[in-house]
Amino acid sequence: MNSSVMKRSMYLFVLPALIFYLLFWIFPILKIFQYSVSDYNGFVQKFNYIGMDNYISLFKEGVLVNSIKNTLIYTAVFVLFGNIFSLCLAFILNMNIAGKGVYRSVAYIPTLFSAIVVGFIWSYVYMPDSGLISSVLKAIGIDGSDFNPLGVGTTALYAIVFVEIWKNIGTNTIIFLAGLQTIPNELIEAGKIDGCSSWKLTRYVRIPLLAASITINVTLSVVNGLKAFDYPFIMTNGGPGTATNTLIFKIFKYAYNEQLFGKASALGVVAFTIIIIITGILVMNLRKKEVSL
Amino acid sequence: MSKKDFPKKILIHTGIILFLILNMYPLIIALSSSLRSPNNMTSPLNLFNEFTLESYKLAFERMNFSRSLLNSLILTIISVAFVVVVTSMSAYPMARIKSNVSKFLYLFFLSGLIVPGQMVIIPIVQMIKGLHIPSTQFTPILMFVTCSIPFSSFLYTGFIKASVPEEMEEAAYLDGAGLFRRFWIIVFPLLLPATVSVIITQGMWIWNDYFFNLIFISKSSQTPLPLAMLGFMGDKENPTQWNTLFAACFLCALPLILAFGVLQKYFMSGLASGAVKG
Repeated sequence: MNSSVMKRSMYLFVLPALIFYLLFWIFPILKIFQYSVSDYNGFVQKFNYIGMDNYISLFKEGVLVNSIKNTLIYTAVFVLFGNIFSLCLAFILNMNIAGKGVYRSVAYIPTLFSAIVVGFIWSYVYMPDSGLISSVLKAIGIDGSDFNPLGVGTTALYAIVFVEIWKNIGTNTIIFLAGLQTIPNELIEAGKIDGCSSWKLTRYVRIPLLAASITINVTLSVVNGLKAFDYPFIMTNGGPGTATNTLIFKIFKYAYNEQLFGKASALGVVAFTIIIIITGILVMNLRKKEVSL
Repeated sequence: MSKKDFPKKILIHTGIILFLILNMYPLIIALSSSLRSPNNMTSPLNLFNEFTLESYKLAFERMNFSRSLLNSLILTIISVAFVVVVTSMSAYPMARIKSNVSKFLYLFFLSGLIVPGQMVIIPIVQMIKGLHIPSTQFTPILMFVTCSIPFSSFLYTGFIKASVPEEMEEAAYLDGAGLFRRFWIIVFPLLLPATVSVIITQGMWIWNDYFFNLIFISKSSQTPLPLAMLGFMGDKENPTQWNTLFAACFLCALPLILAFGVLQKYFMSGLASGAVKG
């Protein structure tokens, strides 16, 4: 193509997006690095630089280890089970059965609800005594009086990850279904003629050809898991104790409940670093795998 | 279909339906409870044992529904319109020019996807004051547009590369059309599938977002729906308030459910095309 058709002045088209992006996304991130070594409290505009004190106290108080651990568990469980559930569901809904359109729509419905509505409804599901699960346990004659998943430190984190999984199954399934539809039918037919069992067809034909969708879904789940905020905010307020303090929720709490903007920023820098390292490693590895398949 | 397949099919359908009922059970219970009068305290497991809109009436008033709905519509429509214009434009050079600059820009935008908004917000409140931008109900739009840039420009760039042939522009170029006209008259209309995808994916999260609204909007007359829901926060621990709370939940979700009912096809394909093009 004639190079004068695609002129450099085209770059002007990037400007509006670039201005928004630099001003409201990149600049604040740099600002966080600055705040992280200060005692800024959000109100008084004069603040002092206090070196690494914020980082040191985050570490000494155990906040760092605790919130990183919670976030990583949250992410791992979400990525693993969220994708396995939705992959299975996608295989089933990809079968040639009547009414699969209706099934797909129904499976998608939870995705439409705002996180805040989902958080409210699941708070009721988990409620001790009169909540949904407790009532069902009672109705079938099991004593559910000490069933309180959100109130117990060891289960609270898993209980809220489950909500995240429930809300995201719809999206993940749709993406897997779209991937399944790109697999040429001839390939499956050829496999059948060669005598492959349906398990073998899935394992050696469908899953490798789904590599692109798997990459997308796993990457999106990792990114969303590391950003976990909604359900600690709506359902548990980080508790009981510190059991559901994720990195991002703790940052928010420091900044808006305790006016510790400096400390919040220090934790932000840590979160930022962790997110970059993990997604970086992940994207590079998945790319390699996708190519070799 | 042969006859021996028949029992297998029944089994599959039963399995799927059971799974979906289990999956939807919390929503079914919530729906059934919301259709009771506010003080009906019988076990929620007795599905649909009363049918009244009293709880809805109460929730409707408490969340100032018509006002909040209008606020949500205004916020979402303005934001999405900005997103479409700004990101489709930004994708054009990134897709057309093959240079290191355009490659860098593409990755630069894409990398924004991993940054959580809750983190960025710490300096933003101060910055917005510093720039003398008034904190009104429209302030969240700035963040909605910014947050939507990474995914939307990624999607548009992929789409232009894959499905808008350069030859079409060449003809227009020979006819003397400038860059601006070429983009808006020839390229942009061809982007319709990508635009639908952007409208659905970004519109959905913007509609459902409560966080940026929580940060910037303080007047109750300006709150959109999800923020109005936050007013019920205390009620989730209190069984006597559940019927009203659930009614509020469904009122809040209703607009999107209706939109989904009408535009189902676009919701499904919009999400999928965003993913597959990557």
